[in-house]
Amino acid sequence: MSGSPIKVVVGKPGLDGHDRGAKVVARTLVEAGMEVVYLGLRQTPESIVAAALEEDADVIGLSVLSGAHMTHFKRVRALMEEKGLGDRLLTGGGIIPTKDQETLAALGVGKLFGPGDDPDAIVDYIREWIREHPREDAV
Amino acid sequence: MGTDNVRIDDLSNLSAGVSPALAEGLWTSFWDGDRRACARLITKVENEPNSIPGIRERLADRLGHAIRIGVTGPPGVGKSTLCSAIALGLADRQHRVGVIAVDPSSPFTGGAFMGDRVRMDKFVGDDRIFMRSLASREGRGGLSPSTPYVADVIEAFGMDRILIETVGVGQAELDVMNTADLVVLVLQPITGDAIQSMKAGIIEAADLIVVNKSDLPGADTVLQSLRFVYSLGSAKSGKAPPLLAVSAQQTEGIEELVDTLEQLSTSIIQSGRHQELRQQRLVEEIKSGIVDELWQRYLRQSDAERVIENAAKHLAASGGSAYKFVREMCSNIQLTVDPKANA
Ligand code: B12
Ligand SMILES: Nc1nc2c(ncn2[C@@H]2O[C@H](COP(=O)(O)OP(=O)(O)OP(=O)(O)O)[C@@H](O)[C@H]2O)c(=O)[nH]1
Ligand SMILES: [Mg+2]
Repeated sequence: MSGSPIKVVVGKPGLDGHDRGAKVVARTLVEAGMEVVYLGLRQTPESIVAAALEEDADVIGLSVLSGAHMTHFKRVRALMEEKGLGDRLLTGGGIIPTKDQETLAALGVGKLFGPGDDPDAIVDYIREWIREHPREDAV
Repeated sequence: MGTDNVRIDDLSNLSAGVSPALAEGLWTSFWDGDRRACARLITKVENEPNSIPGIRERLADRLGHAIRIGVTGPPGVGKSTLCSAIALGLADRQHRVGVIAVDPSSPFTGGAFMGDRVRMDKFVGDDRIFMRSLASREGRGGLSPSTPYVADVIEAFGMDRILIETVGVGQAELDVMNTADLVVLVLQPITGDAIQSMKAGIIEAADLIVVNKSDLPGADTVLQSLRFVYSLGSAKSGKAPPLLAVSAQQTEGIEELVDTLEQLSTSIIQSGRHQELRQQRLVEEIKSGIVDELWQRYLRQSDAERVIENAAKHLAASGGSAYKFVREMCSNIQLTVDPKANA
């Protein structure tokens, strides 16, 4: 893993059309040297996890500004476990109240970011998480 | 400026340099059809070039049958949208389809934005199709260096048609000719004027030309300019490839396009062309494999880096030909091939 770019899949589940944040974050990660597969709008938890599986992504990033974050993050996390991607990072951002972030964290969701957060902090967070959680080869 | 006297022998051990062994469990899952194992193996091939010889050795028995179809053309002409439609068309004709989409890596940061899946979301979760995005990394000819090997992994996984979408930078898309069995060049109405200047290279290599976005005005003009270019006899073997106008977005003309691809595939198989292309690629692979192998051995058995550096220092200061040095150096290398190896 050392030296190879970190691979991130970024998608927006549901009908939420706010895609500015997702694009800004995707660009920031690319500028930080990551390989970002951008899935765009109107994804389902199923399509996002299926894409992450084929891409062998290290990180799944969801952007949810619609208020439906609890449903989407929970479902994606559950599917990740089911498909054998439990060892990957699930992170994201949008309009997500702190208490919801805590509930999701207890389910294995990583740190979530909100309006005004410095995109560089997202880069640092992902890099550090990857450093602390090296992937194993065995399937 | 003496060179070390190097002996390179024992060529029977050609697979030296194989990287740390992959977990056997990964292979078992891969042969069982586990998509996650396939994805993981692709990452290995991408990230650890040293692992490629060992991996390919294990895949070898399953290779040689798939048709690799390169899909190239300027940015934004609709390559991804078209690949999506073609993949579904081929799957409906009982093929198992791999799709590889290559996007440019930034030479400055190494990062890559890969947006092709935005137009390829009709088949996620469809197990007849396996799709993978690749960053071009050090590749400068429209593909990443690992692309042919990623195609091998996907073929061995059981896919018999493999679509390879190139970066789409226009002129420098030459990798695809060496990697694909068939090359599809995609254009759109507004690239009409650009055709004259594209005459060199890829336009001659195309086995099929698709004018996409036929729902927009101007597709006829592009077809006319193409016919004109081919009437000048610039195409390979002087024979114009099939020209088709389609709309990937409205799925118009896609059936005919997929049928044409199937005819071309059958014809390269029956004519022996497919086998010939495969053989050509194997020749290149063997040659570059020998170069790599000998170079690695040379590095291992001598103080080569230092010797070369000293030679360069000397040449830079006092002038002289690098080739004279190379000749001298190589004349000291004894290449003893085990006669049994030729049996
Ligand atoms: C711009 C905007 C729009 C634009 C969207 C344009 C576009 N293509 O994106 C338009 C005008 C279309 C729009 C429409 C609507 N909007 Co609006 N919109 C906003 C606004 C003002 C800013 C959003 C934005 O672009 N911010 C800039 C980006 C950079 O920030 P960001 O997305 O938050 O991203 C940051 C973090 O969240 C995080 N992040 C985000 N995504 C990801 C992904 C990953 C992987 C990671 C790690 C991090 C991360 O990192 C980013 C960096 O700081 C917000 C208010 C606000 N202050 O957030 C309302 C807001 C989101 N909209 C809202 C609403 C209700 C709507 C509408 C339903 C109707 C309406 N009342 O206007 C429609 C629905 C549209 C639809 N189809 O979904 C509400 C949502 C309420 C809620 N969730 O409870 C908000 C919060 C306004 C409000 N206070 O009421 N909107
Ligand atoms: N009008 C029209 N638009 C199309 C058609 N096919 C694709 N597009 C649009 O053209 C744009 C580019 O399509 P892509 O499929 O992403 O093109 P591409 O060649 O893969 O682009 P790059 O990979 O970025 O080079 C998108 O907005 C598509 O919706 C078509 O048949 N008609
Ligand atoms: Mg594309």
